[in-house]
Amino acid sequence: MNFDPNLIRNFSIIAHIDHGKSTLADRMMELTDTVAKRDMEEQLLDSMDIERERGITIKASAVRMFYHHTDGKTYMFNLIDTPGHVDFNYEVSRALAACEGAVLVVDATQGIEAQTLANVYLAVDNGLEVLPVVNKVDLPSAEPERVIHEIEDVIGIPAEDAPCISAKTGQNVGDVLARIVDTIPAPTGDPDAPLKALIFDCFYDNYKGALSYVRVFDGTVKTGTRIRSMATGNEFDVTEVGVFAPSWKPVDSLTAGEVGYIAASIKSVAETKVGDTITEAGRPTKEALPGYKQANSMVFCGVYPADGAHYDDLKEALDKLKLNDASLSYEHETSAALGYGFRCGFLGLLHMEIITERLEREFDLDLVTTAPSVVYHVYTLDGRKLVIDNPTNLPNAAEIDYMEEPIVNATIMTPSEYVGTIMELCQNNRGTFVDMQYIEADRVNLHYVLPLNEIIYDFFDSLKSRSRGYASFDYELSGYARSELVRLDFLLNGEMCDALSTIVHKDRAYAKGRAVAEKLKDVIPRQQFEIPVQAAIGSKIIARETVKAVRKDVLAKCYGGDITRKKKLLEKQKEGKKRMRQVGSVSVPSDAFMSVLRING
Amino acid sequence: MIGVYVHIPYCIRKCRYCDFCSIPIDETAGRYRSAVLKEIALSADKYPGERVKSVFFGGGTPTILPAEDLCAILDAIRTAFPVEPDAEISIECNPKTIGFDGLKRLRSAGFNRLSIGLQATQDRLLRRIGRVHTYEEFLATYQAARDAGFTNINVDLMHGLPGQGQDDYLDAIRAVASLEPTHISAYSLILEEGTPLYDDVTHGHETLPDEDAVADMEDAGMDLLEALGYHRYEVSNFAKSGYECRHNLVYWHNEPYLGLGAAAHSSMIEDGFWVRFSNESSIPAYFKKLEKDRLPRAERILINTFEQMFESVMLGLRLTKGVDRKAFFDRYGCDVIETYKEAYDKNERYGFWDHSDPACLRLTRAGMDRLDAVLRDFRERRWIDFLRR
Repeated sequence: MNFDPNLIRNFSIIAHIDHGKSTLADRMMELTDTVAKRDMEEQLLDSMDIERERGITIKASAVRMFYHHTDGKTYMFNLIDTPGHVDFNYEVSRALAACEGAVLVVDATQGIEAQTLANVYLAVDNGLEVLPVVNKVDLPSAEPERVIHEIEDVIGIPAEDAPCISAKTGQNVGDVLARIVDTIPAPTGDPDAPLKALIFDCFYDNYKGALSYVRVFDGTVKTGTRIRSMATGNEFDVTEVGVFAPSWKPVDSLTAGEVGYIAASIKSVAETKVGDTITEAGRPTKEALPGYKQANSMVFCGVYPADGAHYDDLKEALDKLKLNDASLSYEHETSAALGYGFRCGFLGLLHMEIITERLEREFDLDLVTTAPSVVYHVYTLDGRKLVIDNPTNLPNAAEIDYMEEPIVNATIMTPSEYVGTIMELCQNNRGTFVDMQYIEADRVNLHYVLPLNEIIYDFFDSLKSRSRGYASFDYELSGYARSELVRLDFLLNGEMCDALSTIVHKDRAYAKGRAVAEKLKDVIPRQQFEIPVQAAIGSKIIARETVKAVRKDVLAKCYGGDITRKKKLLEKQKEGKKRMRQVGSVSVPSDAFMSVLRING
Repeated sequence: MIGVYVHIPYCIRKCRYCDFCSIPIDETAGRYRSAVLKEIALSADKYPGERVKSVFFGGGTPTILPAEDLCAILDAIRTAFPVEPDAEISIECNPKTIGFDGLKRLRSAGFNRLSIGLQATQDRLLRRIGRVHTYEEFLATYQAARDAGFTNINVDLMHGLPGQGQDDYLDAIRAVASLEPTHISAYSLILEEGTPLYDDVTHGHETLPDEDAVADMEDAGMDLLEALGYHRYEVSNFAKSGYECRHNLVYWHNEPYLGLGAAAHSSMIEDGFWVRFSNESSIPAYFKKLEKDRLPRAERILINTFEQMFESVMLGLRLTKGVDRKAFFDRYGCDVIETYKEAYDKNERYGFWDHSDPACLRLTRAGMDRLDAVLRDFRERRWIDFLRR
């Protein structure tokens, strides 16, 4: 006997980082007795260490709650939590597609941010009912009135009776629950029609295999159902279906309107594609749900073990992470400077940071990562099109007809006093101004078209520092555009160091070459001989710095009879050398490869 | 023949850069003399008849103890071991800690070499590194030492001090040389973790001259010292001809030495084995073992032949004379250059070897500037390969 669909509410919470999404979710679970208070761990939905530390959600997750409404009926709430970062835009859109409504949380002390706006638009595009909520009204600097006006002006939805809450203290959170029932529509769908379920996330479990987190739109799925992926055509037998209560709880079946998981002895999450539609193999639905996209890596970088002997450990660690993260891609690569490693593809820079951090933390690996690169399209004179994600693979300039680089549409929301400096930042990063809207007298929404390779390094950090943290930023890939690009190489003592090569716009090459050469001069320790550090485009040297030879490498101190200590010191010095990478005759510290990126070009 | 070192771990107060074993003088100092006497007696039983060619009292500030304590310790060493009649007997002192009477007493007891810690002749620099004395006070101590009959005197100087310019350093060398000591030690300031100076520098409260400035100072100082008649015989030690410190040569020739006192280190031959040991570095622990009639050892390790060889190179290359190839061959039965062929060849390419005397493996001045790098190359030699040869 399945739950009456009229009593189901499926919704997400949309909020900017730190605006209180996870806290609100925690309070909802508490009020609905979904978890006993003593079992509450702060921010239950963010279960990875990194998620908790950074206060962001990386993977989507879901939880089912039962709410006793004032009308005397009990409603089933399925809260689908969405990742909170622009890198995971596609995942957000699929999670939203699984819902009928969204609770929009806005911080009463901050107002709407670019990220929130982008996600609200995604929600509206997906036909969701949006319920605005103003959070943190307990803070002295809260301005709920102003924020309510902002919601109405900027997003264009009525907000005059938006609940003003404090997720932290629990104030008025009950109202939110009641309003969810009244505002968000119940799911529609035919439980007897052929199965049609949307995968909005997946998770790998050692015992159950890859689990698909699904929203069932039509039909019913239960243990034994033979299902088919409409994206890949692969078929599986369902071994278990269940719900999030909040941990996995097997149930007999999932039917139209419900949210839960399907286990089918699937070996890897690579086979459970987010956005895919699952149907019955024997009685397939006619049309897949719209919006499915193959996840594409946007940012690539080389990942190498700091100690070459740990290559196999790195491979094993990547294999394990991949089990649970279909958007991570990697393949073997060899660098003259760094030896054996992997070219890894990520959804964005945050994704890259998270993966490398997890590799180092959870697998105890010491890594060397190279400068991130985007994917370039290279058209050669003999008519071929090459897709280049590693600067080393770029053909000779003489063979290239033209190149294209990925371009994004960027939205920046900022207090108007910072508009000047932010426009300057965008211009410096080859941005093209599109338009500017005043949201309020003192808040502005800026639109720019920017090359992706200009924003993957430190654009976000610069934006934050130029606006004292007030500006927010969102972007989406808009396509490829022709561009004058060159490969910038670096030579250490006359030998090219492939791990330092980057592709840059030709107008920026000189400045970048000079800046990186200067930086390298500082991070490469003095050695027995003078080391010329050169930046080059092709065979043309565009910048040169020199790491001077070491003058004194001797302890001019009397250690008396403490010979043991002197020997230990030598051993320590030798250890220090080992942590360096040998590039030809030059020892380069592992972190030099990344530190050269932190350049304000 | 051995050298004997006596460590006196007390000071008026610790200098800001110092990481040697020393503490501000406290009530334990009164018991220190009897503890060392006990250690000497126990050592005499363990190494009976060991002939002594040099004695060195270092610290800390040895002269912070009453002269009679120091004389009693020296007497006990003479009683316990046959000390050669012409042995060099040195003692370190810091200005302000001893006057004419005390120095006279030391001289009469047989101390024949005095090493005075000065470091700089500018009071503003002395203050900045936490020295307790002024330049004037040093001059007074120096004169008192001369009056007391010390003719063989070393003065310690440092370069690379916070606030020190090259002129300051060269002025200090000229001023000291004009007093005509027999020996000048010229150390560079090493910033050691755990010292107040280290904390100040890492927190940005204090700055040191940069790498190039220090190297310039060192080079200019070396040239000046040579010009003033002090020849460089070790990385940081300069002497008038014939006044090289014989006790320190014991270390650099990798010969045996016995360390007495808290935190002292020793290298001795025991039952035919080369062993290195250190004494307890905490004064209460040092006292406690002696009270139980035990030698106050904290650590003891055997040094195998391969390690001894490396140490002979490590220490010998600090000398401008270098490693005596025949002495090396006599001790280890192999030639130093052949044994460390790869390291030798590598550094030959850099032009770091001085070929003026084929009897010695000797570094050029440029090579000595990079001694640690040269030694790291020698360290690459593995024992297993040495055994297989």
